[in-house]
Order: sequence, then C-alpha cells, then structure tokens
Amino acid sequence: MEKAKISSIQFFLLLFMFELGTAVVVARGIEARKDSWLSILLGLSAGLILFLVYHRLFRYYPSLPLTAYARKIFGTYIGWVVGFMYTILFLYTSARNVREFSEVLITATMPEIPLLVVIVLFVLTICYVLLLGIEVFARTAEILGIFLIFVGIIGNLFVYVTGTVDPNNLKPVLEYGWKPVLETTFSPPLLVIFPFAEAIVFAMLFPYLNRAEVVKKAGLASLIVSGLILSYTAALNIAVLGVSEVERSPFPLLATVGKINFLEFIQRLDALVVITLLITVFFKAGIYLYASVTGMVDLFRLKNHRQMILPAGLILVFLSVGIAEDFAEHSQEGFTIFITYFSAPLLIVLPLVMLMIAFIRHRFTKQRN
Amino acid sequence: MSLIHSQKGNAAHQVFPFLFVSLSLGIGRFLGLKAGKVGILLVYVKALSYKGKAGVKLEMKKVWNKLRKKEKKPIEYTEETESNTNHQKLETNLEENIKNIQETLGYSADIIVRTFKIGSSSGQNAAVIFINGLVDKEHVGNFIIDKVMNDHRELNSSTAGTLFTGMKEQMITVAEVEETQEWNKTIQALVSGKTILLLNGWDQAMICPLKGGATRAISEPSSEQSIRGPQESFIESLHTNVAMVRRRIKSAHLRVESVKIGEITETEVTIMYLKGIANEKILTELKERLQKVKVDELIGSNTIEEWIRDGPRSVWPTIYNTQRPDVVVGELMEGRIAVLVDGTPNTLVLPATFIEFFQSAEDYYMHWSIASFLRMLRLLGISSTLFFPSFYIAFLSFHPDLIPTPLLISLAAQRQEVPFPLFIEVLLLELTFEFLREAGLRMPKQVGQAVSIVGALVLGEAAVSAGIVSSATVIIVAATAIASFTMSNHSMIDAVRILRFVMIILASSLGLYGIGLGLIVLIAHTSSLRSFGVPYLTPFAPLIFTDLKDTLIRVSKPFMSTRPRLIAQKKVSKTGNTDTLGPAPRDRQTQENHSQRDSNEY
Repeated sequence: MEKAKISSIQFFLLLFMFELGTAVVVARGIEARKDSWLSILLGLSAGLILFLVYHRLFRYYPSLPLTAYARKIFGTYIGWVVGFMYTILFLYTSARNVREFSEVLITATMPEIPLLVVIVLFVLTICYVLLLGIEVFARTAEILGIFLIFVGIIGNLFVYVTGTVDPNNLKPVLEYGWKPVLETTFSPPLLVIFPFAEAIVFAMLFPYLNRAEVVKKAGLASLIVSGLILSYTAALNIAVLGVSEVERSPFPLLATVGKINFLEFIQRLDALVVITLLITVFFKAGIYLYASVTGMVDLFRLKNHRQMILPAGLILVFLSVGIAEDFAEHSQEGFTIFITYFSAPLLIVLPLVMLMIAFIRHRFTKQRN
Repeated sequence: MSLIHSQKGNAAHQVFPFLFVSLSLGIGRFLGLKAGKVGILLVYVKALSYKGKAGVKLEMKKVWNKLRKKEKKPIEYTEETESNTNHQKLETNLEENIKNIQETLGYSADIIVRTFKIGSSSGQNAAVIFINGLVDKEHVGNFIIDKVMNDHRELNSSTAGTLFTGMKEQMITVAEVEETQEWNKTIQALVSGKTILLLNGWDQAMICPLKGGATRAISEPSSEQSIRGPQESFIESLHTNVAMVRRRIKSAHLRVESVKIGEITETEVTIMYLKGIANEKILTELKERLQKVKVDELIGSNTIEEWIRDGPRSVWPTIYNTQRPDVVVGELMEGRIAVLVDGTPNTLVLPATFIEFFQSAEDYYMHWSIASFLRMLRLLGISSTLFFPSFYIAFLSFHPDLIPTPLLISLAAQRQEVPFPLFIEVLLLELTFEFLREAGLRMPKQVGQAVSIVGALVLGEAAVSAGIVSSATVIIVAATAIASFTMSNHSMIDAVRILRFVMIILASSLGLYGIGLGLIVLIAHTSSLRSFGVPYLTPFAPLIFTDLKDTLIRVSKPFMSTRPRLIAQKKVSKTGNTDTLGPAPRDRQTQENHSQRDSNEY
C-alpha cells in the first residue's frame, strides 16, 4: 500500500466521475424505451444497497484492500484466487473503458488516427499520473471534477436555449407498465452493474481515505448525484432525439449535443462531450488500473507499487486493442458475456457471500472473546 | 520474489507470478528509465539471458546500481584565501598593522589610510582605514578624526588600553561601535564597507559602520505597477529594503534574521517573518535549505531561488518574487516568509501557491467586485495565452467541421494564399513575436521605437499582404501576446510562454485529443508540486473552502477574517469580524437617519 491520504471531497469527486465514466455517453437502459430514466433510478437504488455491502465489508477490515480481506475471509488459498480474479477483472474493465473511449473519440472527432496511437497515448497519460501517486491523482480529480461540472452546466444551458427539448417525447410514462422497466433493471445485462455496482473497485481505495466515518455518507451522496445525472441525461436524450433515434444511435449524448445551435454560431459542441468523456474515462480507467496494480502488489507481496504501473499499463494497451475486432463486437461482448458471466458473480454474488462469512467470523470471534 | 517462490502449493503461483514479476522487473524498470540511458537495454538483456534464474535478480541489481550511481569525485579546493592563514590577532604596533592590512588587500588603490596624532597630551599615533566609495567620508572626518584630533582633555593615558577605552567612551561620536582583536573580523569589516580605527600600542581595532557611498534612490516599481497603492519599490540596498518593510509593520513580532551566503562575495541574506503567524515548520525548513546553499557568488535572488526551490525541474515558479514592499507586508501578514538579498530589489516570498501569482497588489486597493473581475480576467488571459494558438491549430487542421460555417469560410479564404502548413505558420509568427519581445527588452531605449515600427510593419502589413501568413494567424498570435501581459508577475508569464509551444506541438500532432491529454498531464504535474510542504494548488486541490475567498474572487476585506490555513499555522483568525459591520444603532433607532421631510410634501 502506498502512503497516501484521500480527503472525502476527493473521494466524492472520484466516485462521481467514475460513475459518469462511459455510462453518460452510451444509451443505458434503452430497452425500457421511454422509461429508461426510471430503470436507471431503480438501478441506482439497487446500487446503493450494494455500496452498503461493500462499505460494511470495509468496516470489518478498515485497513485492508479488497484482495487482502478476501484472504482473511476465505482463507489464504481460496482468498488468493478470489483476489486474483478481482485483479484481473479490474484490469479487464479498465481495458474495456479505454477501448470504449478510443472508439468514441475516433468516430466522433478524428477518424484518421489509428486506434493504437490513441490508446497508447491515453494509457501513458494514465500511467504518468498514477506514477505521481494516488494523492496527485485525487487532487487532479478535484480540479477536473469542478471543471466538468462547469462544462455540464454550460452544455445543458445551450441545449435548453436551442429549444430542441420536447418533454412530450417522454410521455406517456410507464406506457407498457412496470414490467419492461423492472426487466431492464434486473435481468441481464444488469443495469445495476454498469455503472453502479462497479463502485466495488473503491474497496481497493477505501483504506486511503483520511476519515473512515464519512466514507458511507460521501459514497452514497456521490452515487445518488451521479445516478440522478445519468437518469436525467437519459431523459434529456429522449426528450431531444425521440426514442427511436436514441435506440439507433451508439452514443446518444453526442447526437443530443450535436443538435445545439445557438445564434447560428455556437453549434457542433461534440468536442465538449468528447473532452468530458476524456476526463471521466481517464479517471475511471485510472482507478481501475490503480486498483488492479494494488491487487498485484498485495497478491504477489511486492514492496513497491510504482514498478508495476508501467507493466500493467502495457498489458492494458494490448488488452484494449485485442479485446475485440470492432466496436460492435466489443459492445456485444460487454453486454452479453462480460456482464452476465463475470461482473454479476464478482460484483454482486461474491461480495454478498463475503459479507456473510465475514459477519459469521466476527460473531464467533466476539463470542470467543 | 522469494516469497512467491516459497509458496509452491498452488498452481497459480507458478504461472502468474512469472508473468507479472518478469514484466514488472524487466519492462517496468526498463520503461521507467530516463531517456538517454538506452544502453541499459543491452546490458539488461544480457543479464537476463546469461545468468541462471537465481542469479538474475542479483545481477540486475548490480547493473542497475552501476547505472544509477555516477561516481562523484569530491571537488578539492587547493587554494586558500591568504587572509586566513597569516594572522590570527592584531599586532600592537600600528605601522605593522597597517602594513599587514595593505599586504592582505594587495595594496589596493581604493584603500585609504589616514594616520594622525590624537589630540590629548600623549600624542599617540592613530589611523583610520576605510575603502573609498563605500564610506561616508564626511562622517569619518566629523565624527572620528575631528573628535580625536581636536580633543585636548586629559584622558587617563597610563596605558594604550585605557586610552583606547577613553577614546571610545568620550571622544568618538559614532552611534554604533564595535571592538575586536580578531584579524579576520577586522578585514571582513573593512571590505564590507566599515571604517577601522587603530591605535598605536594597542592590539584592538574599533569598527565604526559609517557606510555611505552612492545607492539608487527609492523609485517606482518597474514591473508591478499600481495606481492607487504606494508608489515605491525595493532598491538594491538590503538595509533600506528591510527598513521599508519594518516601517509598515510596527510590531515587536516582526523578526529579521540575517545570514551570509557566498564563499567569496559574502552577500547578506535576510529572512523576515512574523513570529506567531509564520509557520515554524516552514521556517525551519527554509533555514535548513539556506544552510545547504554552497556558492562562491550570490548575485541576485535567483541563485537562492534555484537552490532552495521545490520541483527544480518544473517550469512553474514555486517561489514568489516581488519588488513591492507593500506586497511583502501583505504576504508576511498571511504567514509567509520573505527572503531579502543584498544587491537586488527582487525579494523572494515563500511558500508560494499557484493562485498567488494572479493576486496583484492593485487587487487590494480596489473595490472587491472590480478586483475579482480583474483577477478572473487575468486567469482567462493566462489560459488563452496557453491555449489560444493550440486551439486555433487543432480546430483548423483537425476539426474544421466543428467550426461554424461562415467563420470557416472566411478562415479558409484567408489561408488559400499561404504556402505554409498551419503549424509552421503559427510557429513562425510566435517565434517572430518572441524575437520582438526579447529585442524590445534588451535594446537601448532609443532604438526600441525603431524595433516596434519595423516589427509592426513587417508583421502586421507586409507579411499578410505578401501572402506569407494569414491575417487570422496574426490576430491569434497578437491576441495571445496581449493576453499574456495581463499578468504582473513575470515568472508565471515565462512558464506559460514555454508551455504554449508544447501545447502547439501537441495540438498540431493530435488535435483536441492532444490538448486534452496535455491539459490532464499539466494539471496532474501542477498538483504534484509542493512549495515548502504546501501543495501548490491549494486551496483548489486539496479543496479548502474557507481559503477560497481570496482566489477567483476577492471578497470584501471584513469578510477575510482567516489566514490561509496551510501557510499560517498558529493565529488562524485575524482581528475583526463582520459582526460590527455597518453603522452603530442609534438610541432612537433609525428615526434620526431618515430625512426630515414632511409627509405631505411631494
């Protein structure tokens, strides 16, 4: 573990940007059609419960990251394997995020740049900031988080000023009843997982927080704020574009912002979205990479995490290039196989099992004492 | 590594550690190397291939250590200053003392030795020695020579010693006098501009600091102008500068500590701080770093700055400098520490934060609303200096589709004639501008006008009409230049001047993506800096809400009731608060304040 401290504001902003990550650009929960914003809110509520689970585990082992307390819970050998699975999962998810961002960047703004170049530079930037330490990473999040909120407000302002928002697109609410909404949220690909349950990666960062007692408050607040923003964005996309266009578009937010036309001069603010995405994904992939590196350091009992950042970054580069042939395959992979068979057990089932075992263990040790 | 190998129970231990550890030790360290050490690759590969598995780590460590450690030979100084070796104490004989002093200083032409007989009955020989130009001769004549020669009182002159004490106590009317037997101290006093009085038959010297000579008069600051604030700036004389600060803070807590730095120049360096407000930890740190300064000569404050600053490789200035005494006072009141160096009007103030460079002295002499507006204007100015040319390149050469059509048409029409790619064009103009700026600074003032005329004509007219550059590029570069002059602090402008070129290169190779990555790296780098332990980007990162009141906006003075938290340590709150703001309540409430108008009146 690095010797560093993260303040609660920094944690709030890190989690906030992490949640927005790629989720704000892609169409989440569009299977529920007009009510996708509702299903995102439902997903948020389930995500909050899951966060409480992760937080409870952290309270049992306040000084240990996820991979370390997995060994305490399951015993050295099974725990090691569990921790290793998480490490791999984090690295893989990081690669997925990097790939997603690069695809958006290439399609939206600069089609002539090779994918590998984009990815290599992006990962190098992440590695540089992580080499400066998690504290610097968190402080960078503070500056850029505030910048991001500012950009968000400006963007919204322009969308409304342009006058393309038509709330009637959202009506009628619950056209087909609750069933499709619930199905979207709770059947695979689960809306809970992406992005809310992904907060489990912060289980690797909890020990760095300088005030353990506010973790719960800050985490829940951040999840709620980002969930509301995601839900609002989904609603805004539908209100501006209409359901069918959102369904067809790979990145509906880009299309929404593309509709901005203020005084015939401020138009095509796609760049703004891409910059937003660059910043949020930078933090999302960075946190994943850092969690993965912390996992490796913990599992292989290395002394220094810095020496692992560049090798892990190298793996990240090749992983994100080789993960899929094209973006369609990448999405297909993500929404069908990855979320159902990897994310769901590791992000939902296993933490619940761990919590149960930890609970029982603590009961017994207490009784013995 | 050994730990992992010891756990041979699990199959996973055999395979995966190999993957990760070999990657970490091999590629990681290799990639982590600084450029220029490419040779390590070959040695590394050899080490990996020739040695057995057990020996690999050891061998690699050896290679690593070899490359890391550059053998440093300590520099030996064979010369020694002669004054230190010959004499330890002064002689009793006057002639001999004078001869020794003359010899030590190599019979320098500017040394003045004036021998005379003292006026009292004994008629002993005495001498006054000083350096021409450093001493106020009139004072030497009036307060030493005149008093000693023309005093006919009968002093107790049984021995030379009592005579010497008598002279000091009854004759010499200099405010500050010091006696010494030490040879080195005498010589040091002489060369630093003090006057030495020697008496025949006594082995002590009297040191009278009658410093004089020409110094510049206090004038207006050349760089940090202010309209409503005080109009004086520091000068080259340290004691005047210290006094200028002292005159503004009439407090017993103001501490002035002095050290001599520079093996040969022996320059006086003064630390000023407010006891009880300044952070003790920062003070100790500063003193430790000052002790480590090992230089022969100390000319100007930049030498000190480069020795003691944090992040020596960073372009950002991590120590603030100013020429204004009122700024120094303001900084001292916030708990910062000032370092004044003899011979320069530039004073260092530390610890510095990023936003400090945007706080001009004028901000505190104006209404808070306009001060806040100007401060944001400055921030905008500096960010447009940094990003304007690069955004121009990025949009025009990578994302023309993002430019509104009418604007794009007019830009494209202008560029039709231009033979250069946009990158070259911008770079050319930026360089020309830098030439102009440098030339304008270094030229004699009389030629300056010619430079500006030629520059304006060549750049503004001829280049555009000849079709070598487009007028849009000229506008961009000119706007950038003007925006950069909104800052009053030069070290910040200089940093941005350099970074602007980095951004231009990034933008012309990767467009907006390059700018975005550059921005992230720049912010991360900036937030990794510290100035004497204080994070450089406070109060933004880490966010300190109470300290935000003097950053982007400057709140009204009564509301600034706390000092910056990480900089000042002890007395966080200032005197005064907002409770008593506004007019005091009257006895008969506010009735009296109302106008005495008749209600029937229209």
